[in-house]
Amino acid sequence: MLALLDAWFVAPFDYGFMQRALVAGLALSLAAPPLGVFLMLRGMSLIGDAMSHAILPGVALGFLFAGFSLPMMSLGGILSGLLVAVLAGSVSQMTGHREDSAMASFFLISLAAGVMMVSLGGSSVDLTHVLFGSILAVDSTALLLIAGIATLIVLALAVIFRALVVECLDPLFLRGQGVRGGLVHGVFLGLVVLNLTAGFQTLGTLMAVGLMMLPATTARFWSNRLEGLMVIAIGVALVASAGGLLLSYHLSLPSGPAIILLAGMAYVASALFGRQHSLSARFRRRAAPLNPSGPAS
Amino acid sequence: MARLKLHDLQLARGGQTVLEHLDGRFQDGAVTALIGANGAGKSTLISAIMGMLTPVAGRVECAVPRERCAWLPQQLALDLTFPMSVEELIMSGTWPSHGAFKGYCGPHYRRGREIMARLGISHLAHRQLGELSGGQRQRALLGRTLMQEAELLLLDEPFANVDIETVEVLMEVLRDMAREGATLIVVLHDMEQLARLADDVLLLAGGHGRWVSPEALLEHHTGQATRAPRLPFDFPEDSHAGTA
Repeated sequence: MLALLDAWFVAPFDYGFMQRALVAGLALSLAAPPLGVFLMLRGMSLIGDAMSHAILPGVALGFLFAGFSLPMMSLGGILSGLLVAVLAGSVSQMTGHREDSAMASFFLISLAAGVMMVSLGGSSVDLTHVLFGSILAVDSTALLLIAGIATLIVLALAVIFRALVVECLDPLFLRGQGVRGGLVHGVFLGLVVLNLTAGFQTLGTLMAVGLMMLPATTARFWSNRLEGLMVIAIGVALVASAGGLLLSYHLSLPSGPAIILLAGMAYVASALFGRQHSLSARFRRRAAPLNPSGPAS
Repeated sequence: MARLKLHDLQLARGGQTVLEHLDGRFQDGAVTALIGANGAGKSTLISAIMGMLTPVAGRVECAVPRERCAWLPQQLALDLTFPMSVEELIMSGTWPSHGAFKGYCGPHYRRGREIMARLGISHLAHRQLGELSGGQRQRALLGRTLMQEAELLLLDEPFANVDIETVEVLMEVLRDMAREGATLIVVLHDMEQLARLADDVLLLAGGHGRWVSPEALLEHHTGQATRAPRLPFDFPEDSHAGTA
């Protein structure tokens, strides 16, 4: 029995590439879900997706100039992601265009520009790598970069936490206090870009969003409290990362999709059986007897 | 004394002038009712007073420090699905002294609990805002402004969708705040509430503002105790209180 457990859960991590992949996955799992929780609570769940497309042209440019150099590609990704966020924000402020439509327009332009650049400069194999990543190919430099960015995100989020919470509930209160809500919002979007850039090497630009959003949406079925949401989301991400890696090792599956699909399974299971808002919770509530001393109306 | 004054104010929304030639002063330690039909410019004026809308012409002179100005928006303006407890909301009123980083300590929590007791929501301290009724939420929001030690408080229809008991609690707290010297501006529709609460009335109609005393306004509308008068307002010139 022990031998079986060892063979399944411990032995795979004797390999250096699996160790690095695990550490990278765990680092991302600490940084990404809290951002996802805030995106979800602000009704911006799809913005992460938009931003992931926005980093593509920068990654492609980095690739064109420096070949397969992770620091250059990451730098390019961060710059183009921030540029798109700032452009979308400014266009929406200056024209009165809604931010989500401005964001949609810019990310579509970025996506097309990015794919065009990758195609002009490399083969379709490179494009696949940028879009879908490969956590098993994480080297020490990449690992340092990922861990560094994850640490920065956690620290920055701690610094802006109170402002972010207050701004989510009542942006005008913060403005009334002389804090520029746009600043908090901007820093937050910057962290989302950073996180996606850290994630693209391991999961690809498209699926890096998965580790951010799926744990958050899963957590919504289990907790009504902010701290609860964060802890559960991080837990789901940690399990999905480690579990996905093991599955990909044993069953020869691509690692990125294995991780995200595992998180996706947690989401579907929670939607069915979660404590709050889930299908079964609705059924339970409908079947519960009338309670005269129930919650105040 | 008046720390809030309007000087020949002209305000516009979307290129359309909403209010013009608005003058006057809001008395300290008094409740001024802001009345007018939908679209008369009540919310526009509040935005300008809060410094969120730049006047086309004229100016708002406000001697109250910015962090002591509070705005109790209509509940619809808040994202009430956001997971936050009543206590957390009230503690966020410490922003002027604590900002984004400083931790809360014993005396602040004690003050928070006192405020909740005063508003009758102590038992709801750990409830999420989304689980509260309209009245309970309104009490919690007023609790935040008490925590903020607001000296200028603007309230946009604070008694809408609120139970009678809450109206009583809110009125009492608002009167106390005025007694302690705060300047209160309340958007109201209900003449009965106006009669009980307001010391002064600023009436907005047809793009202009007029200051009237509550007594004169109510006297003119005897027999219509519960609804605001139809606007444009048919109030006779001779009973103009003229605090402007």
